[in-house]
Amino acid sequence: MPSADTQTQAARIPGRLANTGIGPTFSPIDIGHADYMAVVEPDTAFWSLVRKDSLADVLTNRRFLNAYMEKAEVFAAQMDGLRFGLTPSAVYFNPTERCNLNCKYCYIPADMRAHGEHMSASRLIEALEILEKHFRSVMPEGRLPQIVFHGAEPLLNREAVFAGIEKFDDRMRFGVQTNATLLDDEAISFLTGRGVGIGISLDGRTAEVADRARVNWNGQGVSKKVVAAMKKLRGYPGFNVICTVTAKNLHSLPGIAAYFHENEVPACLLNMVRCTLPGAREIKPDDEEAATWFVKALEKTHELYRKTGRKLVVANFANIILGVVAPTARRLMCDISPCGGGRCFFALAPSGDVFPCSEFVGLPDFKGGNLFADQIPDILKSPAFAKVTGRKVEDIEPCKRCAVRHFCGSPCPAEAVEMNGGMDRPGAFCRFYERQVRYALRLIAEGRHDDFLWDGWDADAETVFDLRSI
Amino acid sequence: MKKAKKPVVIAFRKACKADGTGLSHYILMDKKAR
Repeated sequence: MPSADTQTQAARIPGRLANTGIGPTFSPIDIGHADYMAVVEPDTAFWSLVRKDSLADVLTNRRFLNAYMEKAEVFAAQMDGLRFGLTPSAVYFNPTERCNLNCKYCYIPADMRAHGEHMSASRLIEALEILEKHFRSVMPEGRLPQIVFHGAEPLLNREAVFAGIEKFDDRMRFGVQTNATLLDDEAISFLTGRGVGIGISLDGRTAEVADRARVNWNGQGVSKKVVAAMKKLRGYPGFNVICTVTAKNLHSLPGIAAYFHENEVPACLLNMVRCTLPGAREIKPDDEEAATWFVKALEKTHELYRKTGRKLVVANFANIILGVVAPTARRLMCDISPCGGGRCFFALAPSGDVFPCSEFVGLPDFKGGNLFADQIPDILKSPAFAKVTGRKVEDIEPCKRCAVRHFCGSPCPAEAVEMNGGMDRPGAFCRFYERQVRYALRLIAEGRHDDFLWDGWDADAETVFDLRSI
Repeated sequence: MKKAKKPVVIAFRKACKADGTGLSHYILMDKKAR
């Protein structure tokens, strides 16, 4: 117990008393662990795990408070840089508005996907030239901008896409996100031969589940083709699979994870469906149920890792762990506020129109300008972009009071506006994120968190804080 | 053998240069695959 002297001494130093005045706010959180609770300082995303039988002692211990205070400015500066100091280095490039599928949850309006335009090869190359010139002027030497061909379905405009990759191969890092229905041997050879990242989409291990939401315009499922592509990509390191989680496949998640592992998928995203458009909201899973099955799927990946020594990284969850143990090492920029839209990346439509993120491509109010008519720096400063880049958890109820606000970020702004009525509203899966963060903290308490991260994730990271005793 | 008592506090943080660019529609986990 601290002595009266210690308390008096602490009281003389501004900000040196916890939970009052300008001192740090330490919020104890039940993480569902038998022995540990988390103690979080929300503003700096500081966390600690404290033995339940010592919580009162730790919270009144000067060494604990001082250890935090010595690093508080560093933590705050890291979070400030991460949240407000970055500039875009990636573009989600839609080379066509069209798609050969009509998935129930797609965030791109159906009319656009059915009748939209392709970008010509010459226009696509002109766009890459403009982007390359811009990034060369703002990015550090040696770092390449990342261009991800996205959709709609980018391989419907394959000639133009491949012409662009061919021409800029040595100056940009490329990725393609595809529904895999057009990913034939020739395309796989072209892409893998150039080290292009490939993401494909599969929502189930059986056609019966996988084809519930992902169908063509005739209502027929396409999973057979996707599975064939997945098997051909086996062993390719730059490959991942997105599984969109809805009420229609939620209970299959552990089986899906096992299937991806069996097919040696190195990384996957088990994404809760984005509820930007009404069709997606109809198949939104319940938050609590989603968290339960999501954790079951993660535990399945862990069981398989222990059994085989091979990891299937669930990247969206790995990112939550990183947000806790190494905030600046995040790869995904959805679960930080402001999100990455318009400040780490932006999206380009076939017309040249620029949006903060692919999620906004169907929402004209979020058009920041046109790549062929406007300067990129002006687009990034546009009012349309500011709506997204200015959205932060401190302005959102209940996020402003939430201790895990910087481990979650209240994604996604498109959902906040379209589903919940404004940028100052939370995203679609608040309770799911609460559970996810608690589970991540529990894994750290159990010493298992590294098993869920890809090997070598911290090769470029340094330890800036380490407290195991007080 | 007596089981070691669990530490009273566990807290650590790592840091690196921030360069994440992924969004939920796509993620490139690592550098160029080639």
